[in-house]
Amino acid sequence: MDFVILSLVMLGLGVYGLLTNRQLLKVFISVELIATAATLNFVMLASSTGQGLGQAILILAFSTDTAVSAIILALLVIVSKKYGTSNISEILKMQDKVESEAEA
Amino acid sequence: MILEIISVGLIVSACLALFIDEMVYSVAALAGTFFFTAILYILNGSPFAAIFQFVVGVGTLAILFLSGEMLGDKPIKKASPQKTFALIGIGVVLSLPAIFLSVTGSTGTMSDASFGDALWNLRGMDVILQALVVLTVALGIAIILYEKRKGGQ
Repeated sequence: MDFVILSLVMLGLGVYGLLTNRQLLKVFISVELIATAATLNFVMLASSTGQGLGQAILILAFSTDTAVSAIILALLVIVSKKYGTSNISEILKMQDKVESEAEA
Repeated sequence: MILEIISVGLIVSACLALFIDEMVYSVAALAGTFFFTAILYILNGSPFAAIFQFVVGVGTLAILFLSGEMLGDKPIKKASPQKTFALIGIGVVLSLPAIFLSVTGSTGTMSDASFGDALWNLRGMDVILQALVVLTVALGIAIILYEKRKGGQ
């Protein structure tokens, strides 16, 4: 059992989801998976060497993760209120439409 | 053996969280990912990390359930059982390298600090500063709510 490979697989899944999903909430879930992969790698390496330092520094990783989540959710709420959807493709289409109307 | 089962569960739930169309089921699968991660931490002798994972995970999931219900677009068609089973199969296949392969490497020498020592001696200052930031945010929210209430009356 190798936790480095496990966290690499999680990271790969998160990056794939980040690149392919069009829903903003799914993008958020992908970011959460990437953060979970990073913390998993961190904790497993720290626990395999028997140190408490890794767990202590992990608090910083969790607080950063929470801050990132809060910012993404705030952006999500703003975008959903402004455009009425959380689909990236539809938002881009609406932006293009608004720009072409402004040019005309 | 139990570590292998939990890691398979972790990857399968991550796959389901990413690729199920319905947002509520997707968030439920993400809850499974957080749960399996916390169990892995406990089994590897990191109970504090598991507690933090639970706390952060519960907060994130509560917000995601709410925002998933309120903001998420409804899927056009319902998820078929075949797709769910295919996702489970992909998850199992993706977790096989972690079970059967291994990365070898040397670990450097690190300080032999316990969790308490590391938290208070090495990271005491930034833990206190983080608490100060959280306190400032809480005070700011309280002032905004108070002003809003005052303006409404």
